[in-house]
Amino acid sequence: MMDRRDFLRNLGLGAGALPFLNLPSLQAAPRKASRKQRLVVMFSPDGVVPWNFWPDQEGDAFTLKESLTPLAPFQKKMLALHGLNNRIKGDGDGHMRGIGCLLTGIELFPGNIQGGSDTPAGWAKGISIDQEIKNQLQANPDTRTRFGSLEFGVNVSDRADTWTRMVYAGPNRPIAPISNPHHMFKKLYGSEKDKQMIASVLDDVREDLKKLAEKVSAEDRKLLEEHAAFVRETEKELTAVAKEKMAAPPPAPDASLRDENDSIPKLSRQQIELMVNSFKQDFARIASLQYTQSVGGAKFRWIGVTEGQHELSHKPDKDEPAQAALTKINKWYCEELAYLCKRLEETPEPDGRGSLLDNTLIVWTNELGQGNSHTRNNIPFIAVGNGLDWKMGRSLKLKGVPHNRFLLSLAHGFGHRLERFGNPEMCAGGPVVLA
Amino acid sequence: MRSSTIAVLALLPLLGSCGKDADPAPSPAKGPPPAPALAGAEIYQKLCASCHGAKGEGGKDYPEPLVGERSLEKLAVYVRKKMPEDKPGILSADEAQRVSKYIYDAFYSKAAQARREPPRRELSRLTVGQYKTSVADLMSLFANPQPADAKPGLRQELFNGGRRFRDDKRINDKVVPTLDFNPGSYPPAENVTIEEYSVRWSGGLVAPETGDYEIILETRNGARVWVNDETTPLLDGWVRSGDSVVLKGTLSLLGGRIYPIRVEIFKEKKEKLVAAALKWKLPHRVEELIPERRLRVGKFNETMVVRTPFPPDDRSMGYERGTISKAWDEATTEAAVEVATAMGPRLAKSDPQGRARKLVERAFRRPLTPELQQFFVDRLFAENKDVETALKCVIILALKSPRFLYLPHETGDAYDVATRLSYALWDSLPDAPLLEAAKAGTLDPVKEAGRMLGDPRAKAKVGAFYHRWLQLDRLHDLAKDPKSYPGFDAGIVSDLRTSLDLFLEDVTWGEKSDWRQLMLADTVHMNGRLAKFYGVELPADAPFQKVKMDPKKHAGLLTHPLLMAGFSYASVSSPIHRGVFLARALLGRRLRAPPDAVTPIPPELHPSLSTRERILLQTKGPDCQSCHAMINPLGFALENFDAVGRFREVEKEKPVNAQGSYWTIGGEDVKFNGARELGEFLARSEEAHEAFVEHLFHYLVKQPILAHGLNRPDLLREGFVKDGYDVRKLLIQEAAAAALPGGVKKAEERKTP
Repeated sequence: MMDRRDFLRNLGLGAGALPFLNLPSLQAAPRKASRKQRLVVMFSPDGVVPWNFWPDQEGDAFTLKESLTPLAPFQKKMLALHGLNNRIKGDGDGHMRGIGCLLTGIELFPGNIQGGSDTPAGWAKGISIDQEIKNQLQANPDTRTRFGSLEFGVNVSDRADTWTRMVYAGPNRPIAPISNPHHMFKKLYGSEKDKQMIASVLDDVREDLKKLAEKVSAEDRKLLEEHAAFVRETEKELTAVAKEKMAAPPPAPDASLRDENDSIPKLSRQQIELMVNSFKQDFARIASLQYTQSVGGAKFRWIGVTEGQHELSHKPDKDEPAQAALTKINKWYCEELAYLCKRLEETPEPDGRGSLLDNTLIVWTNELGQGNSHTRNNIPFIAVGNGLDWKMGRSLKLKGVPHNRFLLSLAHGFGHRLERFGNPEMCAGGPVVLA
Repeated sequence: MRSSTIAVLALLPLLGSCGKDADPAPSPAKGPPPAPALAGAEIYQKLCASCHGAKGEGGKDYPEPLVGERSLEKLAVYVRKKMPEDKPGILSADEAQRVSKYIYDAFYSKAAQARREPPRRELSRLTVGQYKTSVADLMSLFANPQPADAKPGLRQELFNGGRRFRDDKRINDKVVPTLDFNPGSYPPAENVTIEEYSVRWSGGLVAPETGDYEIILETRNGARVWVNDETTPLLDGWVRSGDSVVLKGTLSLLGGRIYPIRVEIFKEKKEKLVAAALKWKLPHRVEELIPERRLRVGKFNETMVVRTPFPPDDRSMGYERGTISKAWDEATTEAAVEVATAMGPRLAKSDPQGRARKLVERAFRRPLTPELQQFFVDRLFAENKDVETALKCVIILALKSPRFLYLPHETGDAYDVATRLSYALWDSLPDAPLLEAAKAGTLDPVKEAGRMLGDPRAKAKVGAFYHRWLQLDRLHDLAKDPKSYPGFDAGIVSDLRTSLDLFLEDVTWGEKSDWRQLMLADTVHMNGRLAKFYGVELPADAPFQKVKMDPKKHAGLLTHPLLMAGFSYASVSSPIHRGVFLARALLGRRLRAPPDAVTPIPPELHPSLSTRERILLQTKGPDCQSCHAMINPLGFALENFDAVGRFREVEKEKPVNAQGSYWTIGGEDVKFNGARELGEFLARSEEAHEAFVEHLFHYLVKQPILAHGLNRPDLLREGFVKDGYDVRKLLIQEAAAAALPGGVKKAEERKTP
C-alpha cells in the first residue's frame, strides 16, 4: 500500500504543488502513514587507537581498519565521521567533560566533584540530544510511546556523579542508566506477571465477600454486594489484559546473571535483546547503551586482556602491546555493535515495512578521541542504520567541526529543525549535512 | 387550601429563635373557634394536617417535613401568632400550647425524630486515614520496638577522611539539640586537624500531625538526607552543581509517629567552609529550623506510609464516612500491591509462613480459625513455590479482604470490643495487650482506654479533632490588608497556629484537664515574634510560653487571635463568620445556607457605620432574620477583637458595642456583654456541653451518637459535668461507650465470621 509521500514522489511532485491539484486521494492523508524513526546512542569509554580505527579514505570507497572490521556486513549502511571535536571548555576534567558534554553540547556547572585536573564540577548545564528528540516524539500522539526513551547500561558503576552520567533530562537532571538487566526486565515486563497474580487474588477476595455477606443484615449485605461487583470488574479487566498475546515472549534474563565485570559479554547481549524487544513492542523510539562509564576500568579477560581499560588507555603510542590490547577492546565493542545491528536487521517491523534496522540509526561514540592524551578532537562517531534519511556507506573527514553540529544533524534527521543546541557558539554553520 | 410561597413557610421549621417575639394580642376570630378542650392531636388533624400531612411529613402545598430545633415555648408562641397560615391568631394561648405540644412530641423535636427513624450503626469501611494508619502499624509488627523514652536532639558524628564514614575514623560523637552546624572554616572541633572530613547526624523525627512535610537542608557542601527510608535518600545533593544552596523534598508522614532521619555531609579538600541547617515546613506553616522537641536520639524503624492516592471520603454527615466506589476499590488494590511489593521481600527473609500467619491474624484483629488460616495463608504457600511471591499474595489478599477493610458494628465479641476501642482512640489496629486481654476475657474498656491515651497516636488523633472542630484547615489563607495591618505575615500566622496547638494541648493533656478553660482561660501562648505584634513584653527570640492577658477581656479560644483573624475579612472583622462558628461548633446548632446568595455590603459604601451597624443593615430582611437573629448577637459579643485578633475599645471613633444574646433551646433569653461574659455563658451552657460531647463522639467513632442509645448524649454529658469537664475522662467514656454493645439494637447472639 503506497503512502502519500511515495505517491507524490512517483508523480514527480513536491508538497508545493498540492493546492492546485485538489486530488481527493491527496487530501488529509493520515500522518500515521510515515515510517517510524529510532535513535540508539552507544557509549564506550577511554578513547580509541586512532590508526587502528579510522578509515584512511574519504568517500564511499573505504577499507575498514582492525577495530571496525566487525561492521563489514553493514559497510553500506554506515558512516564513519572523523573530525568532530568536543570543544566545550569550563569546569571539570577531560573525562568529565568528555561524557558530560558529549550529548549535551554544553558546559558543566561548577560543583564539588574534583577530577584528576582542572576545576571541580557538578552536572551538565543542559538537556542531552536524545532526550530533546524524545520530548519531541512524546509530544506528538503519532510518535508517542509508553516510555519514550530507555537508558540501558552494561556494568555501570553505581556511583552517581559526573563520570557516570551521559543522558540529561535538563540542567542538573541526569538520568541514570539501568545497568541491571533484571531491573530493566521488571521495568518493561514486570507488571504483566503482577497483573496475573492480582487477578487470581481478587477471585479469592470475591469468595471471601460472599462468605461474609451471608452473615450480615440485609442492609449491610447490599453494601458488600456492591463491593463485590467492583472487585469482579477489576478482575475481568486484569484477566483480559494478561491474556493479550504479545508479539514475542519477552527475553527474561537468567536468574544467575549478575551485574559484574566478568559477565559483561552476557550482560551486553541480554541488554541488547531487551532493547530489540522494546523496539518491537514499540515501548520507546530512543535508547542509549552505556558500557561502564567515563574512566571505565573494565578488565576484558574474555578476550585475553587482563589490565584495566583505563590504565591501558594511558600507555604511550609507542607501547605496541598496550595499543594492540586497546585495539582488541575496541574491536570487542564493535562486535557488540555489529550484533545489535544484526538483531535489528533480522527483526521485521511489526507493520511489515522493512526491518527494524531500516528505521533505526545507531550512533557509537566515545568520551575521548584518544585515551593517553585525553584529546577530545576527532571524537569517535560511527553511525549505522537507515533510521534518518542520510546517505550511508561513506567515510567522512570533517576536519575539525564542533560536535554540537552533529547533534543538530541528529535532531534535524527527526524533523526537529533546531538552530542551536547546547552552547550556541558551537553551532555556527548549522547541522552537518549528511543526507 | 391556598398556595403560599414556600420561602415564607420555610421559616417555620427551620432554625432556632427568630428574634424576640412580643406576646401577640389575640386577633378577632374569623370563623367558629374549635370546640373547647380539644386535644392537641385533634386540633392538629382539623387545622394543620391538610398542609403539613397527617404525620407531619408534609403535603402538596407545603412539602417540607415538620421538624426543627425550637423549644416548645418558642414553637407555641410562633404557632399562636402565625398559624394556620390563612387564619393566623384563631387559636387561644391554651390551644396553641396543646397543639404545639402534640406537634413537638409526635414529630417536631430531635427526640421525636430519633424515635421515628432510629439511627442505626452502619457497616462502615476504614476511612482513608484509618487505612493508612492501620497498614503502617500492621507492617511494623516484626520491627524492633521503637526506643522508649528517647531523649530530644540528634546524634552528631564527625569522621576523618572525606566521604567514607568509617567507624575507625570517627573523631567526635555527641548529642546536639538541632541540626544547625556552622563551625566556619575548619577545624570544626578541638581535636580535628584534617582538611577532609564528613559529618553524620542521625535519630528520629517526630511528626505531630498527618500531612505532607517539606524537608529542607541548607548547605553548599555535598550532602544527602534520608527520611523514613534507609536506602534511598529523600534529598540527594552528593554532587553539588551550580549555585544552589538548598536541597528540598516533600514526603507524606502519619501523625503520632517517629521516623528515622539521617543527614550526611562532607568537606572536600578545596572547600573552605562547611555549614548545614536542617529545616522543615509543616502543613500550613512557614519554614523553620526543626526544633529540638521534634527530634529524638536513637534508632527508629521505617514506617510503611502508603503512597497510592485514594478518593476522598464523604464528609457530608459531619464526620468522615467511607463509601464504596469503583475508584476506592481500585485504590485498595493498588495500595495492597504497593505494600506487598515493598514489604514482601523484607518479611520473607525469616520465617515467612509463620510471619504470614501472624500478619493476617493481626490484620483481622482476631485469632485465625483453621479454615481461615488455610484459605488466607497455607494455601497460598502451597500454590506458590517462590516464598516472596507467596508472601506477596498473602499480603494482597489480607489487605483486600473485608475482614480487614470493614469495622465491626454489630455487638460482637471481645475482639470486636478491642477493635472498636483502638479505632476510637488510635484510628488503628488493636495492639498486643488489647488482644491478649480480649483472649483472656479480661478486657476492661475503661482501664484500657486510660492506658491508650498515653500513646502518641491518641494525642495525634485528638489534635486532629480540634483542627477539624475549629475548622483550622479552612483558615489557611489568612491574608490581611497590609495597610491596615502591617506586619501580619505568614510567619505570624504560622506562630499563631503553634500557639493555639500549645493551648489546646495544655487544656487536654496538662496536669488538670478542664474543658471550660477553652472558654475562660486568660492566657495566650506567645513567642518573641507574636509578643511584638500583640504588644506584649518579651525578648525578640523568646521561645513559646504562656502569657497572662487581661482576664476581663480574654476568653480562651473564643478570643484567640488565630480564630479572630480567621473569622474576619482582609480588613474588617466578620461577626457573621464568628456567629456561625459559635452556633455550629460551640452550640451544636444546625444552620442551612442562606436562601439567596448574598454579597456582603462593602465597608466603603457606609464609611460611618461600625461593623455591627453594617451587618445589621445587611441582614435586616425578614428572610435573613430567621437565622441572623441568632447568628448576629453571638458574633457581636466578640466585636472587641479586630481582624487580626487585637483588642479594641473603639471602632470608627465610636466605642465598640459588644452586647450580645442567645435564646437557649430551653427558652431562656441570655444576655452577655463582651467575650468574657460570652465565655462564662458557654462554659455553663448545657447546649455547649452537649455539642462538644457530640462533636467529639462523632470524630472518634464515626457513627451516629444516637445509634449508641437515644439517651447516650445525655449520659455522656452528665458524666462529663460530674467529672469536672475533664476532657481525658470524656475521651475514655466515649471510647468505652463506642466499644461496648449498646444502642437501639439489643445485644445479639455472637456471630462467628
